[in-house]
Amino acid sequence: MVVDLPEWTALAPALFVGIFALILFALDSIRREPVSHRLLAGTAAFGSLLAFLSAVWYLVVGVGDPGERGVMHLFQDTLVVDQMGLFFAAVITAVTTMVIIASYDYLGEHAHRGEFYSLVLLASTGMVMMAFANSLVTIFVALELASLPSYALVAFLKTNRGSVEGGLKYFLIGALSSAILIYGISLIYGVTGSLQLEAVAAGLTGEHTSLLALGVLMLIGGIAFKTASVPFHFWAPDAYVGAPAPVAAFLSSASKAAGFVIAFRIFIEAFPLETMLAMGIDWVLVFQVLAVVTMTLGNVAAATQSEVKRMLAYSSIGHAGYALIALAALTNAGPYNELVLGAGMMHLLVYGFMNTGAFLFIAMVEYWDIGRCFDDLNGLAKQAPIASIAMTILLFNLAGLPIGGGFLTKYFLFAGAVSAGFWWLAAIGALNSALSLYYYSRVVKAMWIEEPTESTQIESYPLGLYAMLILAAVVTVVALPAFGPIAETAMSAAEILLG
Amino acid sequence: MEGFLELAPATALLPLISFIVILAFGRQLPMQGAIPGVVATFISLVLSVVVFIVVGQGYTYNEDIYTWVAGDEVIELSFGILIDPLSSLMLVIVALIAFLVHLFSVGYMNLDEGHAERGGLPRYYASLGLFTFSMLAFVLANNLLMAFIFFELVGLCSYLLIGFWFTDKAPPSAAKKAFLVTRFGDYFFLIGTVAVLATFGTAAFAGSDSFPVIAQDIIAGDISETAIETFGFEASTWFTIVGLLILGGVVGKSAQFPLHTWLPDAMEGPTPVSALIHAATMVAAGVYLVARMFGFYAISPTALAIIAFVGAFTALFAATMGVVKDDIKQVLAYSTISQYGYIMLGLGVGGFVAGTFHLMNHAFFKALLFLGAGSVIVMTHHQQDMWKLGGLKDRAPITYWTFLAGALALAGIIPFSGFWSKDEILYDALAVGLETPILLVAYAMALLAVFFTGFYTFRMVMLTFHGEPRSEYAESPDPVGWQIQLPLVVLGVLAVVAGFVNMVPVEKLTGLEIAYLYQWLDQAWLEQPIPETAAGTYSALVAQELPSADPNVLLPALIALALALGGALLAYRLYSDPEPQRHVDELGSVGHVVEHNYYQDEFQVWLAQGVTARVARVADIFDQGVIDGLVNASSSISLFSSEHLKRIQTGVVTNYATLLLIGFLLILLGFGIYGGWF
Repeated sequence: MVVDLPEWTALAPALFVGIFALILFALDSIRREPVSHRLLAGTAAFGSLLAFLSAVWYLVVGVGDPGERGVMHLFQDTLVVDQMGLFFAAVITAVTTMVIIASYDYLGEHAHRGEFYSLVLLASTGMVMMAFANSLVTIFVALELASLPSYALVAFLKTNRGSVEGGLKYFLIGALSSAILIYGISLIYGVTGSLQLEAVAAGLTGEHTSLLALGVLMLIGGIAFKTASVPFHFWAPDAYVGAPAPVAAFLSSASKAAGFVIAFRIFIEAFPLETMLAMGIDWVLVFQVLAVVTMTLGNVAAATQSEVKRMLAYSSIGHAGYALIALAALTNAGPYNELVLGAGMMHLLVYGFMNTGAFLFIAMVEYWDIGRCFDDLNGLAKQAPIASIAMTILLFNLAGLPIGGGFLTKYFLFAGAVSAGFWWLAAIGALNSALSLYYYSRVVKAMWIEEPTESTQIESYPLGLYAMLILAAVVTVVALPAFGPIAETAMSAAEILLG
Repeated sequence: MEGFLELAPATALLPLISFIVILAFGRQLPMQGAIPGVVATFISLVLSVVVFIVVGQGYTYNEDIYTWVAGDEVIELSFGILIDPLSSLMLVIVALIAFLVHLFSVGYMNLDEGHAERGGLPRYYASLGLFTFSMLAFVLANNLLMAFIFFELVGLCSYLLIGFWFTDKAPPSAAKKAFLVTRFGDYFFLIGTVAVLATFGTAAFAGSDSFPVIAQDIIAGDISETAIETFGFEASTWFTIVGLLILGGVVGKSAQFPLHTWLPDAMEGPTPVSALIHAATMVAAGVYLVARMFGFYAISPTALAIIAFVGAFTALFAATMGVVKDDIKQVLAYSTISQYGYIMLGLGVGGFVAGTFHLMNHAFFKALLFLGAGSVIVMTHHQQDMWKLGGLKDRAPITYWTFLAGALALAGIIPFSGFWSKDEILYDALAVGLETPILLVAYAMALLAVFFTGFYTFRMVMLTFHGEPRSEYAESPDPVGWQIQLPLVVLGVLAVVAGFVNMVPVEKLTGLEIAYLYQWLDQAWLEQPIPETAAGTYSALVAQELPSADPNVLLPALIALALALGGALLAYRLYSDPEPQRHVDELGSVGHVVEHNYYQDEFQVWLAQGVTARVARVADIFDQGVIDGLVNASSSISLFSSEHLKRIQTGVVTNYATLLLIGFLLILLGFGIYGGWF
């Protein structure tokens, strides 16, 4: 017997994280005596795990697939639950779960742990909503819901200068970017008379082209902020370095994925390439420029960093550049659009794991308090071989060596770009990948080849952090043999979105 | 009965198991690992005989066992077993020689003090096991890629065994030479293998969709040329090119001119290993490959003619070099090169049965001669120079009589085995040559080589066994054990009788149907024939391209026999004195050139040092300067720009906001102007 759930339950991934954020608030404020850390972390992890499982379950049973359960349109189509939304909801909640479990060890005896977990869940709620948002206004609200807790999370270490400074910079740049974004939205509303994405597309009459173009560019600006793309990336290195490492992992993986899902949805649904090209607004070209500049700047700046965390921050900017190929290699009704867009989604999924894992390794280093620079990792493999193996796998995956899913997704991205005729985009991407291997290898070299300068003793091996680090490494490796289902889901999500 | 054929892989796997066991526990085992090797090869021999008998009952087998690269409508790569009359015969030959060599090794390596105290015996027996495994698996292979893999493994094993005494000066260098020279040929083989896969999409030897069958159908016009990829060539031209590429590997492994130079040096390995290399494994692998895919060569007269000429020339060329050698193993080495030349000639003139026949006979008598030489070496405390031997006839009768049987077979004296097979090859060459006169040149070379063969063979016999002992060790040789004598006797008997299985001249003269080997390979009596590998199919295919006459059988045989006897008698006359003379000076400058092996080694060294090294130096300059220069420059540029680029991140948030807005405005301006928005 098939029970048809009411339509609103399609939002379950967002509802679970949102409700559990509120439960945590209640738990933390109602009880008089301090709530045990284990209970707080457990509740938070349980909530995000439920959200993840519900997203995966929906994907498996065919919600969001017009051929099976169908795409769910909710609240006058301001929210939509389709395969792409669920795919990204799964990525975001998976990262959230990993970050929460890893934070249990990282936070330790820190005060305000309840607030930490509920902020993570709230941000996560915003990000999942971004995956489902189908109207410029819901997009903006969801984006703000994701951003505001993020600012607080970056500044969470209130007594740490870097953390507070990073949080403030993040907030200020964020405020500026939000202003640009909402201004762009208002312009688009002015031109088309609508906020809902399909209605925006229907409202493109060819009038007020320059206003529309300005609005589109401003939208791109808002997206660039969320995905940490040039020139809206300035907040990212300082925020990631200042933030507690699990928060940096969360922002650089989940938040970036959420930024990309709104980019995909807005530009595919609201601004069909055919119409926009007729009006002289070639947004693909803008994304091409952004992709090239972003991946080049991210990778080149990463090459000579002395701090590992800052290197990872720039490398995550570089990866935003790769993912931008998903939009930059689209062509008008081109036969490879599906491949290009699907490849971008796959890359964000695998990237979610490998980048989170790499930042969790930094979290572990911060936990051990052995220093932030490359030299401080010297000889670490002798004391923490398992963590070093996991980190090596993750880094080589990030570089795109064929030991895990990172290789295949990058391969598909570049192959898609080449098939669509943008071989130079792939060539620049490949050059940047070669450069990235250089700086990732510096970490590997420090861990495995260099002799330790002084005998730093590692005293404890935090279980949660270790487990999540290993999980991330294993998932990236398993993604290679088990690539079939990932690719299938991403491709079919892209196909549905492209209509 | 049929089910037994599925056990065939066990014949190959047993020596592999012995390899692993010896590798793991060699030092703890009694006899230093000899026992697992001997036992494993003995069981292999029994199993291969069983397989042979089952094939004799009329069954064959051609199945893929394991697919290691699966594909959907693209090339599949697999390991599989092909058992037909040819492979079952070769299986028995290889397993028999391998067993006898293992047994002989006990006497040669374990029981000889000089060898035993040098140690390393577990390594010896482990390598021997791997060698046997590789060769057996090569024989059983049902596709070209699998054959290539085991072909390479055979090459590796011979490297390990030739260089077994690696602390001496000569063996490592000989091993390296063998490895590099054969590898040079294998490059072509590899390209040929890839070409076969790319052309036909399959590398299977047999079956209705195997590559020889597809090629035959295309030549016959049953399939359109467009069904395969011929890379812009005519199908027949392309097949010739591919066949010759694969032949590169054959020329290297079977030590044919010009890649024969490694084999004489390869005798630096222990003598039983030489027997194995020369008779049944390494060198035999090359010609076996030609026989295995004969259906592919049979449609290309050009490739066949090249095979025939390479073979005939090598037969003569190597035989002349064998004439002036002083080291008993050197003489045998050149005789091997020469004899494989005959086999190549036989195959090249379409004599599939004749070539296979000589391959079998040669395996027996050459193993016998090498083991006989090994026996001499053991009993005279490692004396290999024939001028320091002599007079062993009465002191070591078993070795002498068996060695003599082998020598008579090698020289091709009736009724010993070599006579029958060599005669058949010469007859086939003559028959084809009468229709295609240019091949008569090949026939003439091979015929002349018969004389030299008779000469060097009996020079070797006379110097080693007759006359007076010319050293103290030859004076009082040590006795040798049954482990040495038994293999000699077994092989000695085979050297006498093996020729009787295919007495074609007798069949033609008397009308009795006694060409059993032909019948065996023709498969007409099989319940499950594999027609595409049958001798009759091959001769029909060859006949379309290379017609053959039907000359009288008796006269060519008598000419060859007369030449062989002439050579033998000349050697007898020259070297039958108690204190024989060298007689090299009488050859004058010719002798000098021959003694230096026609300066082939010098030529190859010049090729390597004078030509290749110079080209390599130029390439190196290009690589260091241009390629590395570009790479280094791009990395310095990256690092340089990185140093500057990261300074944009000033840490001051107002700078960020400014830069962000400037960036945004630049994009706006750029695209505004580009898109004409203003």
